[in-house]
Parts: sequence; structure tokens; C-alpha cells
Amino acid sequence: MQNTAQATTGEKFAAGSNSISANRRTAGRALIIAASAGLVAMIIVQFLHVVGLSPVGFANWRPVLYAFVAWGVALGAGQVLANGERGERALFVLPAVLFTVAMVIFPTLFGLYIAFTDWNLSSFTGQRFNGFDNLVALFHDTSFWNALLNMVFYVLAVLVEYAIAFGLALLLNAEIRARKFFRVAFLLPFMLSPVAVSWMIGKSIMEYRFGPASVLARVLGWSSPSFFTSPWIARVSIEAMDAWVSIPFIMILLLAGLQALPKEVMEASRIDGANGWQQFWEMTFPLMLPVSVTAIILRIIFKLKLADIVINTTSGGPGGATDTVSSFIYREYRDRSNVGYGTMLAMFYLVLIIIFVTALLNLASRRIRRVT
Amino acid sequence: MKIEDYSRLSRRSVLKGAAAASALAASGALGMLPSRAFAADDLRAQILKIPGVGKGQPTDADFQKVGELTLGATKANVKQGEFAGVQLSFMGLNNQNLHNVLFRGFLKPWEDYTGAKITWIDLAQADYNPRLQQSIATNTIDFDLIEMGAPFEGDVCGKGLTSEMPDWVKKQIDMEDLVNYLKPPVGTWNGKQYRVTVDGDAHNFNYRTDVFADADLAKAWKDGGGKGEWVVPKTWQQVQAVTKFLKGQKFKGNDVYGYLDAPKPWGGFGFYFLGSRASAYAKHPEDKAWLFDTDTMKPRVNNPAWVRAIQDVLDALPSEPPNQLNADPNETAFSQFLGGTGSMVSWWGDVGSNVKTNDTSVVGDLTGFSILPGSDDVYNSKTGKWDTLTSGPNYAPNCAYLGWGVYVMARVDTDPVKQKAAWSAAAHLGGKDLSLWCAAYPSGFQPYRNSHFNIPEWVAAGYDEAFITSYLKSESDSYNHPNAAIEPRIPGIFQYYSLAEDELAKIFAGQSTAQAGADAIAAAWEKLTDQIGRDNQIKLYKASLGV
Amino acid sequence: MTIVVPAETTAHNETAFRATVIISRVLTYGALLLWAFICLFPIYWTVTTSMKVAVDVTQGHLLPWGDFKPDWRGWRSLGLSPDTIFGTSTVRSEFLSRFGNSVVTSIGASTLAVIIGSLAAYGLSRFEYKFAWMRNKDISFFFLSQLILPPVVLALPFLVLYRELALLDTTVGLMLLYTLTVLPIVIWIMRDQFDTIPIELDEAALVDGLSVWGAFWHIILPIALPGMVAAYILSIVLCWNEYFFAALLTSSDAKTLPVMVASQTGSQGINWWSMAALSTTAIAPLAIIGIFLERYIVKGLTAGAVK
Repeated sequence: MQNTAQATTGEKFAAGSNSISANRRTAGRALIIAASAGLVAMIIVQFLHVVGLSPVGFANWRPVLYAFVAWGVALGAGQVLANGERGERALFVLPAVLFTVAMVIFPTLFGLYIAFTDWNLSSFTGQRFNGFDNLVALFHDTSFWNALLNMVFYVLAVLVEYAIAFGLALLLNAEIRARKFFRVAFLLPFMLSPVAVSWMIGKSIMEYRFGPASVLARVLGWSSPSFFTSPWIARVSIEAMDAWVSIPFIMILLLAGLQALPKEVMEASRIDGANGWQQFWEMTFPLMLPVSVTAIILRIIFKLKLADIVINTTSGGPGGATDTVSSFIYREYRDRSNVGYGTMLAMFYLVLIIIFVTALLNLASRRIRRVT
Repeated sequence: MKIEDYSRLSRRSVLKGAAAASALAASGALGMLPSRAFAADDLRAQILKIPGVGKGQPTDADFQKVGELTLGATKANVKQGEFAGVQLSFMGLNNQNLHNVLFRGFLKPWEDYTGAKITWIDLAQADYNPRLQQSIATNTIDFDLIEMGAPFEGDVCGKGLTSEMPDWVKKQIDMEDLVNYLKPPVGTWNGKQYRVTVDGDAHNFNYRTDVFADADLAKAWKDGGGKGEWVVPKTWQQVQAVTKFLKGQKFKGNDVYGYLDAPKPWGGFGFYFLGSRASAYAKHPEDKAWLFDTDTMKPRVNNPAWVRAIQDVLDALPSEPPNQLNADPNETAFSQFLGGTGSMVSWWGDVGSNVKTNDTSVVGDLTGFSILPGSDDVYNSKTGKWDTLTSGPNYAPNCAYLGWGVYVMARVDTDPVKQKAAWSAAAHLGGKDLSLWCAAYPSGFQPYRNSHFNIPEWVAAGYDEAFITSYLKSESDSYNHPNAAIEPRIPGIFQYYSLAEDELAKIFAGQSTAQAGADAIAAAWEKLTDQIGRDNQIKLYKASLGV
Repeated sequence: MTIVVPAETTAHNETAFRATVIISRVLTYGALLLWAFICLFPIYWTVTTSMKVAVDVTQGHLLPWGDFKPDWRGWRSLGLSPDTIFGTSTVRSEFLSRFGNSVVTSIGASTLAVIIGSLAAYGLSRFEYKFAWMRNKDISFFFLSQLILPPVVLALPFLVLYRELALLDTTVGLMLLYTLTVLPIVIWIMRDQFDTIPIELDEAALVDGLSVWGAFWHIILPIALPGMVAAYILSIVLCWNEYFFAALLTSSDAKTLPVMVASQTGSQGINWWSMAALSTTAIAPLAIIGIFLERYIVKGLTAGAVK
């Protein structure tokens, strides 16, 4: 990220151009160059100090952080000076970009480096570069592929969550009494922390002796309701808990979409004599497609990180049937301090997700023009 | 307290009916005891009555009271206000009412007296190991005191991160009083003493006395062709037979179950429970090692002894409660056994100190204790044969984890006042009297001093004599057993356990056979040993076994 | 599920029509009540469990005063019951300091995220950028991708980074990290918001002599305010429950509530009542937000939902 940040005039927005004097332009550029030089100088001084080549420097890198903030301000000001309104426009997106880059650039690079090392925290020799060994090991790791296969189920289940959420949103959008009560009630599960959910629901309500869910299941004729011992039931139970927490999130997005539907169009279709079912499939659903895509994609991204509930409730069991990639990485990275391999797993997973999400976005945007 | 008493009574009455009053009767009997020389023991007797056995679970106010009363040893070594302005940071677990929650209460009076201030880093058990390892690896140790188990000594003391114990601390905590197996080398590294022990650990065997005294079950056992009398099993072979027999039997009108296995992974700790089943098969009296070959670190986990233990679990699981596959050790002991499900379980001594004082427990007066079951034959990995010992069944208590200790980090050494303050705090927690209270109440800590095994003290505190004798005997017999299977204090030991748990979970779920799964564990362990450094591991493994 | 009833109402099928209405009413309210029960029961269970003693938990008692007698047990273990609230309690002071930190961190992070996120979203909605090879679409995806990485792999890098920046165990450090994690969602939601506001409004403002920033500040921002509230609430929920980095990067000064909830589950069994009491207190602030600000969430998102 150098100071090549340039905002080009977009055709979305016809802008009044104001000419900028050459002096002002020069001053702006000078400011940016000076600030950049200052920042770079400071980094070099501190770096030399840290590696022990220079006695001059700070106790930690915090002053460099302040310098970075100052540089950011100077960059913004310089942009405005040098480019006028184009600079002002760049100013909108600059804080978020600089902030994100500053936060993730080091962790990402360091993470990439770790991914190619053999690093067990208990090892006597410490970190050791091992090239593509981790990647090779990954391809032979059945636990990883098993977890990835489970993710297919969990991701497909998003469609069920979506269907339920859509139904609920339709209900809430209908002419009903006590709408406020139902809306708040339906929203509440989203507010709970996954840790509390896995204990209060997974371990208490679904406890096989006294849990109310088990009691109910017995009443309904399931003589020994154990929710986590056979692979498919366990998987569905985990999914049910996760769905319970996250359906409100989808529902809220969809409800907002429903309320924004143009009233006239709905009225018109009703007068045309369409029944409820036809109206839904021919009018509501297509109109809701864009917001559905947003909801589903956000939900899938969250789902791909599912871990807490699995770790707390089943530890991936029975025999890896409920394991998610994230919960498997947790075990490798944290329980076994095998950070080199664990990081490679995550990086590989990240690449898979990016490919998957990009494909999904493209697919969606071919259906409806506007996504991303 | 009044409401608690009431609720406690109503709870007890559920399972035990008439037996309900016994705990109260015991404490009522206190006055009738022959008055002994209480002068020196006054304090100990006094703290044991906070809040009193059978008076509900102790709370924060009780912890503070105990801390206050046991401050004597500190006062002898530290002047009032001596550490004014000193700030210490303490890292430990934050389990409910245990560990840091307890330490905070204990150290509150210490802070008031010495003027030091302690800040707390509380971690969930699952976060503890990663946080510690990552702090070490990234050089971000931000604590002065740490509560830590002996298995981590290789990772921490071995890297020179801890402060050596000053002599005055050794005197204050009376190191000589420790039971033998916790004396050095445990707590030391390269001959230097680092640890203030606050806990002793061994798996013992907990069983339901009422189940094994039941006439109907005894008759059914005889009728079903059971071998011998209907008694508490003494060997794993008997445990297996009893567990299979109890499947489908009724006791007091409910389904009754036998042994409780914990097949679900538990952050590495679950492996200890397979270890307890395996030790009698795998730990030969003439061989100190049982997990690895000492000269090569070749895993023994896929030898016939361990595979037999794994197969035992597989054979027993169908006879255990229906959701057993999803039970971790926390569940087996505290949810199932204390809640009245299952009649046998191996655990650390916590079960014994909880049955009568934990609010969850409904089996307070119905629990008996012994050392882990033995085996009629034991595998000799030198000869590759099963030996039958002339002395009878082979017993090998699993001294798993070796207990918690408090360690002072080396970073305080640069400041003598801070160093003294840190050690004083550690010594307070490891104090002789305070530890008695910990052993008697739910604290997560078990008896670990010879002075903890003074039965009259426990009886005076309200414990039933037969009960407490049985409990303390099982603990002391495990600690002092000549053939005890000792925890290897090698770096990364929990990584070995965690890898094993993953493979075991697959075996128990039926995806792999006992032998194939055990071979997979062995292969993963070999790889891990190479990754950590084989030569060093061999050296440290030998040192930890004392060979 | 019939939501809109058929419109043909001729005289002779009046009764049939009425029957349909009644049936659809019954079905609608049946479904609503069923789902409300599914949503509320676990919360009811949690709150009541904080008042139960062991036997009431193990026997699955449900009704306070009905089949069990409420007790302050769970709240006592937090030092928050009527009989302990005025005494010295190390647990309560621990709880309160964590609660305070959680509040400060969530509010701080959400505020920062909404400010810089809204700015970026406005920019991305209105102008075309080109940073090196990245265009608007790529920039958006760049932000979104920050949401994807499993946080666990950032553990060591962030430890090292924060050590060097002296940000370990500081509320500011945690806040910055949380800002990073919720920023993508804020940008996503807000960009949809701005997309629905007609560009003509901006143009009119410019014609009136306002600058780009002036137009944004005086004209667009007030319209987008409900959307910002919605994004803000979502951010607060996510920050409030964040556990992983809180356990990793804080020790004593900046520690937050979720770590305390998680550590209720140690090695020596679960005291359901104190777990439940702690969960209840952790939910309470969010539940209150839900009750009072729920309409903003839907209203806010509505503006940007369909285009």
C-alpha cells in the first residue's frame, strides 16, 4: 500500500471539477512525500534498534504506530491538497483501508511464513522452515478431509435455515397482533453467546436423563433420546443449535427486505387474482432474490467458521462426525501447539473459502446483476 | 445459610431417604468426641468447620475466612504492610468455585495484611495450555505467579522461566510433610526446587456401596452364573463382568449401570482414563516405564496391554448408559456418578471430596473408595508375554498429572521485594493448614501431605469415620504404591494425549479396530517425538521415571 | 402457509372464505407461537436454572413455585444475591470489572467501526476508486475477506504484533481488533443503505454549493441514520460475545465477560446455577437492546434491502 491511492472520477456521479493551482498540487505531493519519508525513516531506525545495530530507538514499536497514524492524516491532507475533490473522495475510503491494512498486513505475512515452517511450541529447536511439507501432510490428513466433508453438510443446511427464516419473516410481515412481541422474541437467540448456548442447550436442555428436550422426545416415543451419539443425529443436533442462534440474523435481513417491497406491485398482483402461493413464487421471491443472496452469503461465511458449539458440545465426536474444519484447526493449533501445520490448514482453508465465495458471488451476480 | 440447609435437606431426601440425617448426625456427634489435646490443632479444627461438612458448598466468604485464619505462617515471615505498592499478576484456572476463585478469596486477607495487590488472569481449562505455550513461544509472559500442573514443568522450568524457591519458603511450607511421590524430582528441574505443591493427584476407584450391598442384585448375580460373590470388583476382569451383568438390571426401581467410561475427548485429559484402565495390564512391577520404551521413545500404546484396555472399553460401552459415547470425564464423575447414575468410576480424588460437599451430589453416604482395580495377568514388554504374578493380581495405580502447584516466574527475581512478595503469596497458598481445608472441601485439590491423613481431624470436621478412612486409604495407597504408574514430565505430553484422544474417538465410534487405532496413535506419537526432538525426550523421560 | 388471502369474494362462497380465513389465522398464530416458544424456552430455562438447586436441575423441574422453590444460589455465587450484595465479594468485583470492560470495548469498537465503515461504504457506493490494481469490487471483497479467516491462526501473529506495539492487555488493543472483525459487516450493510439513496440528492446538494463532504454530512447521513443504528447494534452483539481473542490478548486490565462465562465449565463438574446466572447477566444487556432498539434494526435494514 504505497501512496498511489488515487480516486478517479466515476461516471456514477457527475462532479463539478475545480482547477487546482500548480503550487497547491506541489505542496500536497511534498507533504505526502515528506510524511512517507518520515515514516520510513522511523521504521528503519526502530528496526536497526531492534536487531541491535543501533543504540537509538524506542522501547517498543508503539511510537511507530503513532507515526503511522500521523502519516495517514498527512496522506489524507496531501490528497486533498494535490487532487482537490478527487482527494476528498479518496478520503472516504482511506481510513478504513489504512486501518485494515495496518491491522492485517503483519499478521498475514507472519502467518504465511508460519504456514511454511515446522513449528511445535514444545519443540526444543523452535521454528524450522520446511517448505511444502505441511501442505503435503495436509493432503494425507484424513481428519481434515473428514471435517471438510462435514462442512458440506453444514453449508447445505444453510438453505434449510434460510427457508425457515423466510417463513418466519413472512409471518412477521403479515397482519398480525402483538407483532412487536414476536419480533423481539424471534430476535433474542441471536444475542446469545455460542459458549452459553452450547452449555445451556447442548449440555443442559439436551441432557439425556433430565433435559427437557429428552423428556419431550421420550413423550413423543423416542425411548432413548441421546442427541450426540450416532453420527447423523449428532450432526443434526449441532446444526439445530447453530441454526437456533443464527436464523434470527437471516430472518432480520429478509424481513427488512419484505418491508421494502414496493406496495403497489404487490397490490397489483393481488388484483390480478393471484393466490398467495402464486404471488409468493411469482412476485415476492424473485424480488427478494438480491437480499436473499446477501443473507445466504453472509451466513455461509459465518457458518464456515463454526467452531465454539462443536468444541463445547461434542469435541467433534462421535468419531469426528460433527467435526468442523475450524474445530479441527483449534485442536491442532491449540491443544497440540502444532502451530506451523495448524496455520497451513487455515491458509489452505482460506483459499478454498475464497474460491467458493467468489464462485458463489459470480453465480449470484449472473442471476441478479447487483452483488458485491 | 438457612435456605441452603433447607434445600440441602430436601435434596438429600430424594435419593437417600432416612440416610439424610447422617451427615448432620455426624457433626452433632462432635461434642461427644473424647477431648484430645486440641491446643495445636485448634486452628485446624476451626477451619475445617467452615462452613462444615454437609452445610452446603463453601462460598467466597468462606474462602476469605479460611485465608484469614491461616495467615499465621505469613505473619511470622512478613511484616505488616511490607509489600505495600507491590503489584503481582497471577495466572490460573477460573473453574467454578475452584482454583483462582478460591485463591482470590484466600489471598484477599494476605493482600490486606502485606499491602501487596494481586491482579488475576483467569483462564478456562481449555485455554490454559495454549495460552501458556503461546506466551512462552512469543515471549509475552505477563504473569508473576502461575498455577500449573507438573506435566508442564518440562515446558516452563526446563526453559529457565521460573524462580528458584528460597529456603525460607521451604521452611514455611514444611516441604518434608509432602507425600513421597510428590517429593523431588517432582517440582524440581536440574536439582532446583521450583514448585509449591498445592495438590496431589492419582486416579482412584469410586464405587457405590449400596449397589454392591444389594441382596436382589446379589441373587441375580448368582443366578446368572456370576463368578464369586457379589462384591466390589478388585480386577478389571471383574469390572467388565459386573458392567455387562448390570445392563438391564434394576436397582431401587431404576436402570442401573456399571463402570462409566469417558470416551469423549477432553483436551488431552481424557487419555488418563484409558491410562487407568491400562496401567494394571501395562505397568509391570519390574519395569518403570509403561508408555514408551525408555531407550528409544518407541510408543507402547499399541502393545497387547494397551490394546486390551482399548478393547475393554469397546466391550463395555454397549452396557453403559445410552449416551455414553458423548460423555467426557467431567460428565462421568460429576454429572453421572454424583448424580446417581453408574456404580463405578475412576477419577482423581475430587469425587471423594465432592460426594459430601458438592451441591450436585446425591450419593454422599453411598460411595466407597479403593485403589484402581488390578489385573490377573500383566504384560511384560521385555519378553512380549503375559505374566501371572505369584503375589496375585497386578495393581498399578495411575498417578496421573501429579497435581497442581504454584510457581513463581523468574521475571520477579530482579526486584527483591517483589520476589519475596510473590513467594510469600505462593507459600500462603501452599500452607499446611490451608491445604487441609482444600483437601476437605471442593477445591479441585486433593490431599498431598502426610499430615492430611490424620483421620480424627476429618471425623471432627463432620466426616463419617468409615467413609473418610476408605477415601484417605485409597488416596494414600495410590500415592505410596510401589508399582505406581507415574506421569512422564516430558515437554508436549498433552500433545501426545490429544493426538491419542482423536484416534480413540474414532475407535470408540466404530470407525477403526482397537489394534489399527492403537497403531495409528503410535505412528502419530513417533512423528511428534521427532518433531519435538527425540534425544531430549528420551533424556527427560528417563529423568521423570528416575532411571 | 397462506399469508394473503384470495381476493375473490363472491356471495355464495362467503362461508368457505370465512373458513379459509380462520384456518389461515390458526395456522399463522400456531406457527408464531410455536417459534416464539422455541426461541424463548431456552432463555426461560437459563434464567430459571439460576434459581435452582441441584435436584431441581437433575429432575428437570420447570415451574418456579410450582415444582421447585426458587433459591438465590446462582446469584450468591456471583455475590449478587440479596444476602451477599452488600458484603465483600471477590467474585463480584471480578464480575463487575469484566462487565465494565465488555461495555467499553463493545461500544468503542462498534462506534469506530460504524464511523470508518460508513465512510468507506459511502465512498464505495458513490465513487469509483482505483488503488493499484483494485477497483471497487476488489476493495469490497478485500474488506469482506477479513471476515473469512478462522481467527485461531491469527493467535501467534497478533500476540507478537501486540507485544511489539505494547497493546497486550489494553482495552484499546482489543477494541481495534474488534473493529477489524465487525468492519466488513458494517461496510456491507451500509453500502446497501447508501445504494438505495438516490444520487440526485447528492447532486442537488452540490448544486447548492455544498462540498462532497458537506453533502454527505448534511444530506445523506441523516437519511442513512437508521441503517447505521442497525449496523451498530449488530456490531455490539458480535463484539459483546467475542471470546477467542479476549482470552488470548487480555490478562488482568482489559479482560471481558465471555471468558468468565466460558470458564464456568471446568474440570470439576458444572454448577448449573452459577453458569445460568452468569449467562443471564451476559444476555441481559443485549436483550434490553433487543427490546428497545429492535424496530431500528428492521427499519434500518429496510432502506437498503431490495433494489
